[in-house]
Amino acid sequence: MKRTIAYLSLLFILGALLYVANPNYGLKFGPGGKEWLTLRYTDNYYIEHGVQEVGGTNIVTDIVFDYRGYDTIGEATVLFTAIAGAIALLRPWRRDEK
Amino acid sequence: MNGEAILPYLIIIPLFGAFSMPIVNLLGRKAREAWAVIISGATLAVGSALFYSVWENGILVYTLGAKSPLGQGVSFPIRIVWEVDLFGAIMVLMVTLVGFLAVVYSLGYMKHDTGLDKYYTLIIILELGMLGIAITGDLFNFYVFLEIMSIASYALVAFRNDTWEGIEAGIKYMFVGSIASAFILLGIALLYGQYGTLTMSYLAVKLAQNPTVTAKVALALFIAGLLFKSGASPVHMWLADAHPAAPSSISAMLSGLVIKIGGIYALARILFSIYGHSVSMKTVGWVIIIFACITLIVGNAMAVIQNDMKRLLAYSSVGQIGYILLGLGIGLAAYGSQTGEIAMAGAIYHTFNHALMKALLFLIAGVVIHQLGTRDLNELSGLAKTMPKTTFAFLIGAAAIIGMPPLNGFASKWLIYESSAIFNPILGAIAIIGTAFCTAAYVKVLYTFFGRPNERVMKARDPEGSMLWPIIILAVAIVVMGLFPWQISDKVMIPAVKALENQLAYISAVLGGA
Repeated sequence: MKRTIAYLSLLFILGALLYVANPNYGLKFGPGGKEWLTLRYTDNYYIEHGVQEVGGTNIVTDIVFDYRGYDTIGEATVLFTAIAGAIALLRPWRRDEK
Repeated sequence: MNGEAILPYLIIIPLFGAFSMPIVNLLGRKAREAWAVIISGATLAVGSALFYSVWENGILVYTLGAKSPLGQGVSFPIRIVWEVDLFGAIMVLMVTLVGFLAVVYSLGYMKHDTGLDKYYTLIIILELGMLGIAITGDLFNFYVFLEIMSIASYALVAFRNDTWEGIEAGIKYMFVGSIASAFILLGIALLYGQYGTLTMSYLAVKLAQNPTVTAKVALALFIAGLLFKSGASPVHMWLADAHPAAPSSISAMLSGLVIKIGGIYALARILFSIYGHSVSMKTVGWVIIIFACITLIVGNAMAVIQNDMKRLLAYSSVGQIGYILLGLGIGLAAYGSQTGEIAMAGAIYHTFNHALMKALLFLIAGVVIHQLGTRDLNELSGLAKTMPKTTFAFLIGAAAIIGMPPLNGFASKWLIYESSAIFNPILGAIAIIGTAFCTAAYVKVLYTFFGRPNERVMKARDPEGSMLWPIIILAVAIVVMGLFPWQISDKVMIPAVKALENQLAYISAVLGGA
């Protein structure tokens, strides 16, 4: 019973996402021309001003380390946390150490 | 006071503390403990200063890497912004306060455990993640810090890796939490694909101009993911396992802070500040009210039948989240009216109060486990005789969570009862039924504590200073806040709601009145 409901709701979510993924109703794929400026205006800004504002010729690193550098600190922290957590959980048990 | 000058230190200090902990650990146990206390204490100082500054001057905006969030010659933000309104500042104060007390408490409580350098690193990162969520004004940045908070809490729940329940609860929490995070990430991806920006305030503008089906699907994904994280009822099962299995200092942070920052705060921020007027607030409000009613009844009713002290407290947390969600739901459904304002003020007030009360109760449960080695309520009768101070603090916490008049829980619950009764009497009745169950659960515990002492309890004693002082501070805070309930409500909580409901101010603070 529970399982049936779960699969049905998964099906429903899939249907909703497929509907949204249809360019006629929702997201546009490969926007070009005029759509590029209405949908990807921030990307356009990065491409036009990146070299002059940041100085790197690689736009991706410009964004990742300058415009959105704070997110990169966050990602580094996620990795650090994951390592700290994994080491903490894989340490020897208390009674084994004695 | 200059809020913009101190805001970065809210992130810098815990980040520095966490990353330097492995090096400080080389100096020995004392240095590591002192470092953890200094770092969380300094964060508390910055958090209080920030709260005061925001309370005085209103919304605070900070752009990372430039003077203005807007790009050259364009009218949209290109950088990450921090945006702290009064609601965010209340959350910051709450996180830093309870976080500091939990760290101090850990000094005594975690003494017999191993791997403590990792423990202190993780607890500071947990605090960092929550602070990042509370101050951010960027949707993807919100996700990054939600992940930092979640990963740190998965590791901390399973920290006692030699107990079966720690590992089991950790695995359960991790699977459920990752799926919830994936929902949220998917929602963010949909919004970015449709609107091309990640800044919350500019996204709100774009949404108002062009509300689409994509935005609604994204909203559904956000609500689903965040209800998971807050432990609302059909998906509360991870909480009832994770909170009892974690070390008590961590349960206090999970129950008091994580479910509220990662759940309630984020939900309120996304619904009020991003979606604001671009979806039907009434519909969304009712969706949340329905979950709130189920959560209220299920959480409080399940608390009554527990025999395990920490499990009882965990289910009670689920029940109290129900009250907060009820306030939030009515705040949305009655948006713009005075009823909605009072309901939302009650929700914010109860968030803060419950953080203090539940932290207090979990810390006391930790003391009991530490002294007696059991948390089975059947074996704890007569604790009042041998641990009078602890029992008295528990009495205060239990009375506050039920909502006894001289304590802080009264005012916040009263605001929620009042507004729900005005909004719809049936909801008021449901809220009262929930409180009846809640009262029964806590009276049951108190009845045990004041019963005839059994042999096991006779050897118990009140704990050492580092474990007792956080409990005393929390109990005093509860009593003092209880003495000025309406002053706090008028001076802090109502303005916080006004700031949250004023979407235009939130937007124009970033876009410069554009």
